[in-house]
Amino acid sequence: MFALGDLNLTYLVSITAVSLYVSTAAVALSAALGLPISLAVGFRDFYGKSVVTSVISTGMGFPSVVVGLVVLLALSRSGPLGTFDLLFTPEAMILSQTILALPVLVSVSLSAVQSVPQDLRDAAFAAGGTSTDVALLVVREARYGIVTALLAAYGRAISEVGSVLIVGGNIVFSDSTSFTRTLTTAITVEARKGNIETGIALGAILLALVLGVNALGARFRDRTPGRNGRGR
Amino acid sequence: MTTERPGTGGPGVGESDGSTAPDPASNGAGRGGTRLAAHDLGHGFGNGAVLEDISLAVEPGEILAVVGPSGTGKTTLFRLLAMFERPDEGTVEVGGDDVWDLPEARRLAVRRRIGMAFQTRSLFSTTVEENVSYGLRVRRSWSARIRDAVEGLFGRDEPSDTVEKALRTVGMFDKVDRDAGSLSAGEAQRVAIARALAPDPDVLLLDEPTSNLDPRNTAAIESAMRAARDRGIAVALATHDMQQARRVSDRTAVILGGTCIESGPTDEVFESPDDDRVRQFVEGKLVY
Repeated sequence: MFALGDLNLTYLVSITAVSLYVSTAAVALSAALGLPISLAVGFRDFYGKSVVTSVISTGMGFPSVVVGLVVLLALSRSGPLGTFDLLFTPEAMILSQTILALPVLVSVSLSAVQSVPQDLRDAAFAAGGTSTDVALLVVREARYGIVTALLAAYGRAISEVGSVLIVGGNIVFSDSTSFTRTLTTAITVEARKGNIETGIALGAILLALVLGVNALGARFRDRTPGRNGRGR
Repeated sequence: MTTERPGTGGPGVGESDGSTAPDPASNGAGRGGTRLAAHDLGHGFGNGAVLEDISLAVEPGEILAVVGPSGTGKTTLFRLLAMFERPDEGTVEVGGDDVWDLPEARRLAVRRRIGMAFQTRSLFSTTVEENVSYGLRVRRSWSARIRDAVEGLFGRDEPSDTVEKALRTVGMFDKVDRDAGSLSAGEAQRVAIARALAPDPDVLLLDEPTSNLDPRNTAAIESAMRAARDRGIAVALATHDMQQARRVSDRTAVILGGTCIESGPTDEVFESPDDDRVRQFVEGKLVY
């Protein structure tokens, strides 16, 4: 049986799976909410737009333990979302990670959308495009930045400790399978126990995961033509 | 006040006088032909009027040069003609219809009869072929576009005949598979014109298409303009290059200070202008 200190394969696989599940779901949810927000804010000029973008940027610096505390209060039995009985579940962790990843995703993708030159929007319009066609063209042109936004949000989610510890509870069953323990919270447990080597091994796995996700994203981002510079 | 020459018809530059402009009926055989006209256009932005009381028209099978110094409102005029925005005053007519009186769906259909290329680099970050076929794709139904996108995942088709024809018109078919980002400025401008030509528009608007280009690319673009005219397309060219206007256009409208002050057959406007400011401008003595 594979083992590294107190680690066994079942434990390792399950905490990795929980990390991937919670982070991927949180980023998917953030993308579903955040990309339409980026397009809506990026496409329109409206009164107070600079305030909205400032608020979004500020959200990138939300302290994760504060977010965890707010989600804990919201999901607790007497909180507004208490009836859903989500506290100390992976879904509660998804919620808190979504709140943390959303501002990162919106802010970076908004910047990408706004950086698409007006000339290209005009060209799409002049070629007979409707407003929907122009919006799709902008998403396509901003794909590099949008993928970067997804990767940044994923990085924020998978490296999260404070809030998932608070709302997830760091729970492992007696058969060593994880319910709400992630790679990051497992590292804190090992560090507290003084198992530095085990913590470093878990950290290496986490880094490998982040590297793998980034490599996949970069491969997708660079696959399409048109990014070889604008002119000779 | 616009100086209109006898026989130039309508407001400003109107019908062909038959002497310098090719006969539209002899060009673009079988093409219906569409007239683009502006009547009493006025438009401004926050800090005042950019255009005032501009009337002109471009007929099928002719090239109209709109000349004037930089910053005189040519680009604003062309954006109004291309229906980017509604003019503050006056009307834009395509084929006799006041475009802003039409329901939205018909206005889109009318807009799609106009092709436009810009002064600035405006190619999308994809291949030359995809740039040129963009106008064709957006005219297709959503189901057809989704089917094309799915089929595209399993391999690329050959460029359509329409794309090939448009690229050959500007001498760029040999670069059909190239990444648009790798083209030189002149090549990119030729591809932009091919993109405007691909859907076979009735009207082609070219806003300073050759500014800062080398003679070879300029010649290719001028050749494409003539080819479009010979196919019966109404071509309007905004330029501050007097020599280019003389070389390629059948008619010329001179805009100074946001107002069209003279228009008519190109030879007459350049050789015997009625307005003293136009004389000074074409002789290079009027500096704005």
